[in-house]
Amino acid sequence: MSIPGLTLIAESINDSVPSTHVLFEENNLQGIVELARFQAEKGAAYIDVNVGLRTPAFMAEVVQKIQQHISLPLSIDTPDPEMAAAALEVYDRARSGDPIPILNSISEARLEMFDLYQKHPFIPILLATEGKDEFGGIKMNKTAAETHATARSIVHIARQRVEGLSNDKIIIDPGIMPIGSDSTGNFRRLMNAMQLIHQDSDLAGVNMSVGLSNFTVMLPPQKADGSAVKGPLESAFLTMAMPLGLNTIVGSVKRKYALLPPDHPAMQCLTDVLNLEGMEIIMRVMSYIS
Amino acid sequence: MQEITERIATCVELGKISKTTPFPPHMKGQDGADEIAAEALKNGVHPDALLAGCMQGMERIGKQYSENLVFVPNLLMSAAAMNAVMKHLKPYLESGALKRKGTFIIGTVAGDLHDLGKNLVAMTIKGGGFEVIDLGVDCSTEKFLNAIAQHPDCSVGLSALLTTTLINMEKSVQAIKKAHPSVKVLIGGAPVTDNYCRQIGADFYSANPQGAVEFLNKNKNI
Ligand code: B12
Repeated sequence: MSIPGLTLIAESINDSVPSTHVLFEENNLQGIVELARFQAEKGAAYIDVNVGLRTPAFMAEVVQKIQQHISLPLSIDTPDPEMAAAALEVYDRARSGDPIPILNSISEARLEMFDLYQKHPFIPILLATEGKDEFGGIKMNKTAAETHATARSIVHIARQRVEGLSNDKIIIDPGIMPIGSDSTGNFRRLMNAMQLIHQDSDLAGVNMSVGLSNFTVMLPPQKADGSAVKGPLESAFLTMAMPLGLNTIVGSVKRKYALLPPDHPAMQCLTDVLNLEGMEIIMRVMSYIS
Repeated sequence: MQEITERIATCVELGKISKTTPFPPHMKGQDGADEIAAEALKNGVHPDALLAGCMQGMERIGKQYSENLVFVPNLLMSAAAMNAVMKHLKPYLESGALKRKGTFIIGTVAGDLHDLGKNLVAMTIKGGGFEVIDLGVDCSTEKFLNAIAQHPDCSVGLSALLTTTLINMEKSVQAIKKAHPSVKVLIGGAPVTDNYCRQIGADFYSANPQGAVEFLNKNKNI
């Protein structure tokens, strides 16, 4: 992992990873610490901590245990305000040389997370993937303009709730979706949304992050000739997204992310996809992976 | 007639939608599901033969998918090829000349917006010869119950991808079972397990779409 200007939040301590789920189920916190250590040694900037549907006390214990052994800052990953509160309560900033933790993530449906800020500041990841519909329910954003509008509105809310919050202390997640089933042109929506956010002077200097591994779920690990599928596609994504302001990812320390030349087959694939519709996109991805 | 069924099955299995679609490369320029279906109906082939081709093709790809031999994009291509045939079968299905095996209602549970897995299940079951009514995402219990009331001899599928929405799956399944004890309820989605299925009183859990088709084939009402 060595792209200048890219911050890696290491993804493996997450209950939805089967091997990590087993560690949690067996209450093997030593195993969790080892996983944190491994990711730290491999170049992570933050360690993500997602304990799934367990108690706030368990979340707090995991945070403390990791911090006893590892000095990297953490990314507290939960949709539950109580769990976030428990984690932030025990979080020891001095342990990581003072940087504040990341809170992954806040959506317009979970604004009460901001109430925790005053006592325990954090860098929020703000989700721009879902906004509110006219009845106050959640609605998935389908266009770049909608994603951009949610990004603006949630940043405004954040500023109201947290006095003096500057753009460089905010991360926006514009939402990445799997390229292998992208028959609705989500990749294009994402690229255009990032561009709109990047060009918006009100949002100047905000950080942007995506969960990069989600881009290649559902694809085979290898092509017929044995060459890798996922790493190059994720790298191509980074090559195209970083000029649009992407500077953070939740990703794997095991991947060798790199910036690729425009004639790399993965770059050609994604460039083509930007100009295709519907099943043509799936066919283009198929021809890349075959 | 058998030959047509096999040709359709091959196009569906390999995802050959029409003559102009470039995939799969070795069939470039050849007729696809669309042309073969149109031509066959024009020549008086019974639509049953075409539906059988869809079913066989989807079954083959569904099995390969559950064995990790092919991946989601393959399944999507196959479903698109199947839809190219279904487009021609629509008038026969509407007139009743062509019968389906039963009705399957599917939706993602309340609070959950994930639909890729649900869509794959819907496509595969459609390809298995069932009429599929897709209620979309974020479906309340009422939405499921209303749809079932209109199709009392249907089976139902619920999908959930978030541990936080599993509770809504449980609520909906129990309400459905209470109101319609004879309706078979299938559940699925990454956090769902066999154990959970028994625990909440659903009839069947499958990790993949093909398992659901096999269950429905064994339990069909008509
Ligand atoms: C794509 C995706 C999204 C997309 C969804 C787009 C869409 N239109 O569906 C977007 C970006 C919108 C999204 C949003 C969120 N997501 Co999401 N998402 C994913 C992702 C990357 C892939 C899911 C997927 O489509 N898989 C592929 C399909 C084919 O698999 P599948 O759904 O399991 O379906 C198969 C089987 O389960 C089965 N099946 C499915 N349903 C049924 C039903 C029946 C009846 C049967 C028989 C079988 C069956 O058949 C299918 C085919 O084999 C996963 C991560 C991952 N690696 O899985 C996270 C993931 C599911 N998401 C997650 C989260 C947390 C969220 C958010 C809460 C994000 C946030 N931080 O706020 C929001 C929630 C939005 C909401 N309210 O629902 C978590 C869930 C954690 C958990 N266990 O609770 C995951 C696991 C990511 C993670 N590692 O943290 N997400």
